Amino acid sequence: MRTTNFLSGFGKFVLALSLTGALGACALAPKDDPDALAEYKAANDPFEPANRLVFAANSAVDAFILQPIAVIYRDLAPDELKPPFENLITNLFMPISFIHALLQGDLERAEMAAQRFVGSLPTLLLGDPMPNKPPVHEDAGQTLGVWGVEAGPYVMLPILGPSNMRDTTGVIIDFFVDPVRYLGQTRWSIGRGASDAVIDRSKNIDTVRDLQRNSLDYYAAVRSPYRQRREAQIVNGDVRNEQPAPTIGLESESVKNAVAIKPGSN
Amino acid sequence: MSVGFFTVPFSSAGAADNHIAASVDFIRDLANQAISMLSNPSLNKADRRQKFRNLFAESFAVKGIGLYVLGRYRKRATDAELSEYLTLFEDVIVNTWADRFTEYAGQKFEVNGAVDTPSSSKAEMAALVRSTFFTDPSSPVEIEWRVATNGKIYKVVDVKVSGLSLAKTQQDEFGAVIRAGGNKVGVLIDKLREMRDS
Repeated sequence: MRTTNFLSGFGKFVLALSLTGALGACALAPKDDPDALAEYKAANDPFEPANRLVFAANSAVDAFILQPIAVIYRDLAPDELKPPFENLITNLFMPISFIHALLQGDLERAEMAAQRFVGSLPTLLLGDPMPNKPPVHEDAGQTLGVWGVEAGPYVMLPILGPSNMRDTTGVIIDFFVDPVRYLGQTRWSIGRGASDAVIDRSKNIDTVRDLQRNSLDYYAAVRSPYRQRREAQIVNGDVRNEQPAPTIGLESESVKNAVAIKPGSN
Repeated sequence: MSVGFFTVPFSSAGAADNHIAASVDFIRDLANQAISMLSNPSLNKADRRQKFRNLFAESFAVKGIGLYVLGRYRKRATDAELSEYLTLFEDVIVNTWADRFTEYAGQKFEVNGAVDTPSSSKAEMAALVRSTFFTDPSSPVEIEWRVATNGKIYKVVDVKVSGLSLAKTQQDEFGAVIRAGGNKVGVLIDKLREMRDS
């Protein structure tokens, strides 16, 4: 029932956006300026006007709902209840992570996901059977990435936040693939997602405040970390193909005559 | 501690391993100095910031990071704009970092080792030094320091917080600000000045 209400509310929101023309609004590629064109391509955000509108709505939802719940969870939830609750949410992600690790051909991570899930069964999923190993988080967006599907344009999804065309497709695929949805009900997977959002937000309250306070353009400051995080997740933290980074040599270069450093491409 | 420790002995034999170990020592000392400085009760706020600024300027490739962050737009900035941008960049980044480190001050800090990582310059080597700050015991912050060396000096050229490169994030953000402002570097400079003076 709640899901239906949420979806009907979501439908109205999308309708309202399309009526205001926001969804149709595209940032036009600057054709006459090579630097601006390169920047436009690197940002890969042709729906920026619409995305900014959704971002503003999401920011309001965050400020009035998610952040207050996250602060209450962080400050008022009993410390002894947090680990079992957080383990439960993490362990509930293991079946889908297992499937995607297999689809990516990563048997080691598939085994780790399986071990964590099976190992937590005696504790009714409330325990952490592998405290020294970070949990495996794989999803359809990452699997598509491993298979070579390009990220595609950046998209700001209502409620769900930053995404791109590939990851949005992944979200839809996972809705149908997720074993938790079949073992339990759809509301289990929605509850797991909402709980994960609260836990994640409760651990990033200061980071988000820092970003809001110290950024010149909060929207752009959020766009870049999303990309970096997804790229890192797809290669599972492998640093061999790092983006170009600053060097000491830049310090001594003659500023005007220097060949411009190749900016990181996305 | 003297500035001398920023210059680490370097030899070509076994250089790859040397630079990783030296980068680890460099970060451990730098973090200890920063934390003890920022949590020293005998310093007032202005002194603390000044000392932090000096330490930052000595150990970070601030100008190099500033030019990297400006990305493709550095070609179209005038000399005056570039010099003002670099000054403002240093002011703003020092303030931001002083704030962040103040939060970490007095917290347990661990260096977890380092790995070699490719450098964008053939004349340099780089290492990613992994560390953890236990600001909150249940959610430690993972910080990776990208330390570059040209064989003579060691400098921090980027910092990754929870896997996110601050230089890359700032480059994308500044690029967006300049593009939104009609591709003029002056627009970014105005915004940076506003932020510094706010």
